Formats: sequence, C-alpha cells, structure tokens
Amino acid sequence: MDRTATLKRANTAQREETYVDYSLIFVILFLLAFGLIMLYSTSSYEAGLSTGDSAYYFKHQLFPTLLGLGAMLFMSFFPYRFLKKLSVPIYLFAAAMLILVIPFGKTVNGARRWIIIMGVSIQPAEIAKVAVIVLTATMIMKLQKSLMTPKGYGVAVLFPLILALMVYKITRNLSSAVIILGITIIMLFVATPGYKRYVFTALVLVAFVAVIIAIIANADDSSGMNYRFRRVLAWLDPNAYASDESFQTLQALYAIGSGGIFGKGLGESMQKMKLPEAQNDMIFSIICEELGLFGAIAVMLMFLLLIWRLMLIANNAPDMYGALLVIGVMGHISIQVILNIAVVTNTIPNTGITLPFISYGGSAVIIQLAEVGIALNVARNIGRY
Amino acid sequence: MARRKKSKTQKFTIGMRKKLVVLFVLVLLAFVGLGVRLILITKNNGEEYERQVLSQQQYDSTTLPFRRGEILDSSGTVLAYSEKVYNVILDAKLLLRDEKYLEPTLKALVTNFSLDASEIRNYLSEHATSQYYILAKKLSYNEIYDFQEMITPGTETYDENIQGVWFESSYIRKYPNGSLASDVIGFTSSDNVGMYGLEEYYNDVLSGTAGREYGYLDDDSNLERTTIPATDGDSIVTTIDGNLQNIVEKHLNKFNETYANNVRTGNGANNVGCIIMDVNTGDVLAMASYPGFDLNNPRDITPLIGMPAVDEKGNKVSGESVYDSGVYITEEMLAEFTDEQLYQNYNALWKNFCIADTYEPGSVAKPFTVATGLEAGAITGDEVYNCTGSLNVGGWDIKCHNRYGDGLVSVERAIEISCNVAMMYIGQSIGVNTFTKFQKDFGFGLKTNIDLAGEARTEGLTYSASNMGPTDLAINTFGQGFNVDMIEMITGYCSLINGGYFYEPHVVKKIVSSSGTTVKNIEPRVLRQTVSPSTSEKIIQYCEAVVMGDEGTGKTARPAGYRIIGKTGTAQTLPRGNRQYVVSFMGAAPADDPEIAIYVVVDRPNVADQSTSTRLATTLVRDILTEALPYLNYPMTEELSEAEQAELASLREQLITTAPDPTAEENAEEVEGEETEAAEEASSTESSEQSDNSLIWETFDRDAETGYYVDPETGALIDPETGTESNGDVLPDFTGTVEDSSTVAESN
Repeated sequence: MDRTATLKRANTAQREETYVDYSLIFVILFLLAFGLIMLYSTSSYEAGLSTGDSAYYFKHQLFPTLLGLGAMLFMSFFPYRFLKKLSVPIYLFAAAMLILVIPFGKTVNGARRWIIIMGVSIQPAEIAKVAVIVLTATMIMKLQKSLMTPKGYGVAVLFPLILALMVYKITRNLSSAVIILGITIIMLFVATPGYKRYVFTALVLVAFVAVIIAIIANADDSSGMNYRFRRVLAWLDPNAYASDESFQTLQALYAIGSGGIFGKGLGESMQKMKLPEAQNDMIFSIICEELGLFGAIAVMLMFLLLIWRLMLIANNAPDMYGALLVIGVMGHISIQVILNIAVVTNTIPNTGITLPFISYGGSAVIIQLAEVGIALNVARNIGRY
Repeated sequence: MARRKKSKTQKFTIGMRKKLVVLFVLVLLAFVGLGVRLILITKNNGEEYERQVLSQQQYDSTTLPFRRGEILDSSGTVLAYSEKVYNVILDAKLLLRDEKYLEPTLKALVTNFSLDASEIRNYLSEHATSQYYILAKKLSYNEIYDFQEMITPGTETYDENIQGVWFESSYIRKYPNGSLASDVIGFTSSDNVGMYGLEEYYNDVLSGTAGREYGYLDDDSNLERTTIPATDGDSIVTTIDGNLQNIVEKHLNKFNETYANNVRTGNGANNVGCIIMDVNTGDVLAMASYPGFDLNNPRDITPLIGMPAVDEKGNKVSGESVYDSGVYITEEMLAEFTDEQLYQNYNALWKNFCIADTYEPGSVAKPFTVATGLEAGAITGDEVYNCTGSLNVGGWDIKCHNRYGDGLVSVERAIEISCNVAMMYIGQSIGVNTFTKFQKDFGFGLKTNIDLAGEARTEGLTYSASNMGPTDLAINTFGQGFNVDMIEMITGYCSLINGGYFYEPHVVKKIVSSSGTTVKNIEPRVLRQTVSPSTSEKIIQYCEAVVMGDEGTGKTARPAGYRIIGKTGTAQTLPRGNRQYVVSFMGAAPADDPEIAIYVVVDRPNVADQSTSTRLATTLVRDILTEALPYLNYPMTEELSEAEQAELASLREQLITTAPDPTAEENAEEVEGEETEAAEEASSTESSEQSDNSLIWETFDRDAETGYYVDPETGALIDPETGTESNGDVLPDFTGTVEDSSTVAESN
C-alpha cells in the first residue's frame, strides 16, 4: 500500500510531513452521506404524517452533521496532548451536565435524557462518553506501573464507574452506562498485560447473565416485573410478546427477513410505516429491508474498515497517550455498532443503542465526529516525534 | 519506529500492540457472527417474514379509497358518479375470543345479510385464526345500516356481543343514463382506472389520492390508529348537452332499426356517427356513434351482434366477395369467438368512431377546396366552368356525378350540385403547394387534440406538396384520396363558416373540486385563422344553395321551418369499384349566422345501392335538426307547408324534449295522421318536378322495381334526383385491383 510507503518515508526522512488518513475520512463521509439518505428514506413517511414536512428529520440531522464535521476538523488540528491537561475539566463538565438534567431535563418519549441550552437539545450521556475516553487515557498514563496492582486498577475503573452510574441513575439510560464502562474496560484491556483476569471476568459475567435469564425465564408471573426483565422475556420468545414488548424487535426482524438479498429498493420499505422510531435504533433493519443483505453487509464492512483504520492509527501512534485515545474512540464505535446490530437481529434483548453516524441524533453525531477528529490529530502526528 | 532514542514520551509497547490486534480480532469475530445471523434470518425466515409484512400491511394499514370525480353534462346533469359500497369482513380471531360472541353475531349476520349460518360456522372451524374473510360484497349503505347500528356503541340497538365483523368501503362507478354518450364518457376498470373517452383522458383529474389507516405503537406500547383521509377526485363539467345527445342517439337508433338486416344481416351501416358542435367556440354539444354500449355493463355482448367483425389489428374482416362490406357478427360467431377475438371486437365497439376512424370524406371537402381557391386568390367566385361529365387529368378520365355533364357551372352551382369537374378546374388553378398548405391549415392530417382518449393519428394520410401529383390534386379537390376523421372535418368546417376562426375542439369546459369550487375553466381556444371573413361569407352562401337551392343535393336535409346550410358527401372507398360508399352530410344552422354545426357520417349503409344513398345522411340530419333546433330555442324562419305541419304534429308526440313550439297549438287539431303520408309524397314529387329543367336522364325509361331511370346506352340505373349512376364510380380504378367490367368500360 502506498500509504504505508508514505508512512515509512515520513519516518525515515524525519521530515515534518503531516499524515492525513484519507481512507478514514472517506469512510466517515461515506457513512454520513449514506446515513442521511437512509434517514430521509426511513423517516419521510412518519415525518410527513406527524410534522407535515417529510424532510423534518433530515433537516434536523443535517445541521448537527455539518456542525460535527466542523468539530472534527477543529479536533484534527487541536494537539491531542493538551487533552491530558483538560481531562479533569472535561470529566467535571460532563458530570455537571448530567446533574443539570435533574432540574432542567426535557422528557422525550418518557425518558429524561435531554437538556436544552439556547434551543439546542443536548444529550449529556454522549458528552460523558468522550469524557470517559479522555479521562481513562489520562489515568492510564498517570498510574503507569501501579495499574498492575488491584488498588491502582480499581482507581482506574472507579471514576468512569461513577460517571456510568450517574448516567444510569439520572437519565435511566442503561445502554449508555454500559457503553461508558465498556470503553474503559477495552482501554484497560489493551493497556495492561495478561488475559487471565479478562477471560475470568468475562466468564463470570456470562454465567451471571445466564443465571439471571434462567431465573427470569422460569418466573411464574411476569406481569409485576421490571420492564427490563420483561424485555428479556420478549427477547427469548418474541412471538409471545408480539403486540407489546417485542413489537419493535419483531417488526425489525420482519424487515430484515423480507429484504432478501438485494432488498426492495431505496425508499421501498414497508416496515418503516410500522416500526416505531425506525430512524433511531432500528434504522439498520430498514437498511436491510431496502438494500437487502448486500447493503447491510456493505455497511458492516464500512464500519469494519473504519475500525481497522483506527487500529492502524493506534498502532502507529507517536506515543502511548495518542494510542490510548484512538483505542477509546475505536472501542466506542465498535461497541455501539455491535450492540446496535445485535439488538436489531434480536441477538441480545432490546436496549436503546443507536448506530453511529447513521441513526438520528444530533448530540451523538457531533460527539462521534469530534472523537474521529481526535484520532485524525493523532494520525497527523505519526512520525513527528 | 521504535528506533527513536531521545524520546521522553512513553511508547506504545509491542505487548499492547498485540492486545490491540486481539481486540480487533474480537470485533471482527463479532461482526462475522452478526453477519451470519443476518444471513440466517434472511435464509430461514425470509419468506415467512415477508408474508408477515404483507399480511399486516393488509390488516394494520388499510387503504381508504378515494371517490372518483363526477362527469356532468353542460347543465349539471350527472353522467357518471361513484357510489360508496361496503364489503362485510369477518375477523374470525376476534369473534372466537369468547364463546358468547358467536351466536349473537351469527344471528345478526344471518338476519341482516341473509347469509348462510352453517357456511360461516364451517369457515370459522376451519380458519379459526383468519382475520380477513369477505362475507358479502358491494352492499349499499342502506343495506348495512341496521347492522352498523348494532355494532356502534351508543346506539339503541347496540349489542356488545356482536364482534369480529367490520365494513370495508370502496367505490363503484355508476352511469345513471346507461348507454348515453357511451363513446364520449368511456368507463372504468374495476380498480378505478379510466378506459376510453373522458374517463381515460381525464383519469388523473378524476382520480384522487387514496388515504391510509395505519397502526403504530405509542410509548406504552399500545397500538394506536391514525387515519390520513383520502382526497377525492375532481369532477369535470362537459360541453355535452344531455338532451341534445339524447335526440341524436334516438335518431341513430331509429336509423339502425330502419336499415338493420335490410339487404344483409347486420346493423344499418358499418358505422354511423354524428357530431354537433358550437361553431363559435369549438364546444362539442353532442357526439355519438352507433352502436353504443351500456356503460354500466360494457362487456355485454348484445351490441356486438350486427357489427362488422374485426381482426387482431382492429381492421375489418373482409368478406368473400370484394363487394361485401364486411363480415357481420352473429350470435353463432360470438359463441365461437376466442377471448382474444372477443376483446378485439369489444375494442371496436368501445372506440369512438367520431374521433378514432378515418375515411375519405368525399364531396363534403368541396367547400374547403373553394375556400382555398378564394383565399389564395386563385378564383374570385365569378368563374364559370364547362362540365362535360368528365375531365382528363394525368391520363385518367375522372368523372362527375352526372356523367352526362352539368353544362356551364358557376362556383356556387359547383357546390350546389357537387360538380367534380368544376372542383378539378379550381384545383388546377390553386396548385399543389397552396392546396396542401391550406389542407394543413384546415387541420387535415393533424390531430385536433380534442380532450378525448383515442383520437386517430391522421399524419401521413394526406399528401404533401412533394408527393402530390396532378391526379392526386384532382381527386383531393372533391375529397377522395386522403383520409380524415369526423372531428377533423367538423372542426375545419366550423372555421370556414364562423369567419375563419379555427377553434380547438373540446368536450370539457370546467374542472370542479369535490367541494364544488372551480379548479379550472377551459375557455375556447382559437388556434389560427384559416380564411378571411369575406371568404367565410361566400362559403356560407354556397352551402346554403346546397340545401335551399333548386338543384341542391342536400335539399332533403332541411328541417321544416328552418334555413340551414351544408354539403353532402358520397365517398368511394378502397379498393375502388367495391360498390361500398361512405355517405355524409355536414351542415350548420341557422343559415344567416351559423351557430350550430352538425356532421353525420354513414359508413357503408345497409342498402342495395350505396352509391345513391346520400339521402340516408341528409334525412338523418333533418330528423335530428327537426327536434334539436326547437330544443335549442331557434325560432322558425320559414313558412311551413301543410305537409310539413302535419309531419311536425305527428313528430311532437315522440319528442324527447318539450321545447315550446309556436305553431303547436294551431296545428294540433288541423292535421290528422293518415293524411300525412300522402301529402308528403305529393310534395316531394312536386318539388322534383319543379326543379326539372334540363335533366337529360329524365327522358330515359324508368325502371319499375327501383324507380330509377335506365340509360339506354349502357343499361345503368340513374338516380332520379341527382343523376348519379348507380354504382357508377367517378374515380377510375387507379390500382386496378378490382376486375369490374363496368368500371373498366366507363373509364375508356
């Protein structure tokens, strides 16, 4: 590949040549453009009905996308080392925003997750995700060797955990909390040697979940249960809860199944008329329906290409801090993509996780693009030190 | 990369790199796993899920039908409308939720819709989970009213135990006047798509947008229903006058009754068409052709009987002999028709003869030739030509109707007696360039763009200056050798007599929304000026001579009490010498300032001698105008003879309309029915004697059987009024396809 050739040349010549990862930028722009098209295709029917403007969601996504591209550009020039100093302020800012949700939060669809500042609604959980990436990377750098001790490791996990708990308690958004913890774990996994404890933890977790599911599944009466438990039941037997808990999942499955290999064609989805909030969590199922397996796998390959590029940047990063930041970004995107597709295919119970760059959501796309900006800045510095 | 020495920054170690690769492999595995899952879902459950999607589409998201717009006549009488009808749908799953619902529901169904209870029980036991089964179709609102009350909460008869039955609405198209204006209106297929006529041409206007009722989940996962109402289609107001249309169709039917199965088994003619048009706007006031068909049941086979059968291209099936006008459909033939053949013939029935069929117009084209001559300055109108019975053009002897020669013929007399020779002389002074240019101006060879589906393309059926030879020009002057359709002719003719304004013919004058507001007014549109007002004046004068003049060929077209203008036509068809003719009359009333134009074409009438049957077209015009002009409130300007008064009195009883007649009261008692016939006969012989001056053929012996004169030299039969030789074609057989001894002999 000529790019690696460029890389080597840059290294050997010791020149102040900046490296721009064009494939990464291309993948991002492709996903954004594709996402906007699919968003319009998915939401126009519903938007036309409820707002009278079939491009309502499209328009409301276009502006944050442009803003996000601006943020990406800014972050790609913003020296990432300064983030080390900013990590605590960013962390505190995220926490403060979360606390602000308590008095000023806006309730949408029964969940209090947004705060409105000057007419712009912001989802603090998204800010918390980027805060955790920066904080964990900084903590790993600070703790260094003491990470190997249980105490040091515990400290590294503690602060992200606090933020995750806040997200869960204040916004009642379990999936975001899981993502925040997941990002931290992934960064620690790469930063610390040895596999034993991770394999062990994973096994314990799997066993625990299996036990919980077994208990829920064998419970006699499901009516009094927490809605999360009922979702688990719906996951196990979607057809039994077809009209309520698993309605969304089942409709998503219908969408995927009816798409076939090449799909019904762009804009031809029938399920978008039935699937609630199709432009959010379930947009991938509409992609499957309209573009078929072919389109769905192409999208997955694009994400894989994106993650692979991030891995390359991390591997070639000039220093460990940069590498950790990129790993955080990579972890964030990987978790969301995998969990989103897993939900849509009913591989795991339904949780509200959006598909990065494609699902409807302004805060998410801005934050995600800013994260990519950080990765691009790390990439620029490859070979400089 | 790790070669750098003086670096304070902590490097990303090899161990970490390895772990990062492991992480990537884990992500990759997850992706592969999900990809496999996607493939499995599609492969294993694809079909099932697809069916699910389709089935819930039907159940959860029902289409709400729109109401197709109405078609109204010029005075607002409804010609076509859509009526809401209901299908009774059984939801077995809903009904069988509880045992107690079953009996009351069945009882209500049986009493209200007289359904068979045991059949429903059978269905329920076999399809317990079915949610959509049509119990009864297309019931009117009155028929479902009682049951609707029973299932509507809050009404007196409401019974909560009646469950699992609902009504699905749709619209059916109805035509309250049956076959009236069937060719103009057209009909709709079962899915509300217009076929033929206005229904097809204005399909987009008449169609609305279907609404949708669909379900979605709210925050608490309850199924909510939302409705987008349907948008009804717009209605169209036509220029058709229902009463006038009725008069026209009555007389077309009467014509058919008179001549059907006359000399051959079949209709009174292959086609009979009539158009009445407003001369000064291009509004089509009536348009009909025989046979029509019942719009409420367009696939009724009875109108097909007697029609000439057509092949897969829509061309008439030719008979055994070249003299046969066609093969006429009988019940036996219908029984043997394949589906394809049946539809070919349905298409022939459904199409509108007045706009879809082309033919050679014949002498009705003569006013156009004269107008061209006057307008181009080739003639002044004061010329006199000498007609010797034929003219040799390009080596062919082309004859006049009167083969003994009309003698000296002025331009006016040329129109009055329909002299071919004079026309050919005029054509020669016009020349091919001007002649073809004016033909285009009059609209020959161009679509009129009338707002009806199925107008014929006549492009290529006329000559252009480059391919028109002298013989072509000669026969074109009297309407042979080029093809037109009816709407082209009458549209052009209107421009000749209204001062030269060529209006685009149209049938719809207004589009109205379902709420009654006007969406669009369609104003008369002048496309061009064909002739000057002074030429127009002269044409009116000449055409008046045709009907009012002593020697006029169209005298029989005059309705009692009125002066009208017009021109007759008797056109030969191809192949020449087949003894098949298209006879026609194109006229207008009143004579001093024409406002209403009428054009009647009778294609291959069912009479023994078609060549002398022009009278069929003229009397048809007279019959129609006799009723139509009083209806349209034109006062009588001419004195009525006693015979005419008697005739009118007897007609009055059959009139469709009760238009006031000033003479009605005076005449009602004076005349009795029996006297009428004798009087009429007397007057007709009288008038023919009066007009007699130098008619050579009247010195011949008379044939006892037909009443025609017999030419002592050739033995040919001569029509007593016009001097036209029976089956004596004016045109030589240019192509020589028919071996007819008489024609060959005559052309020498």
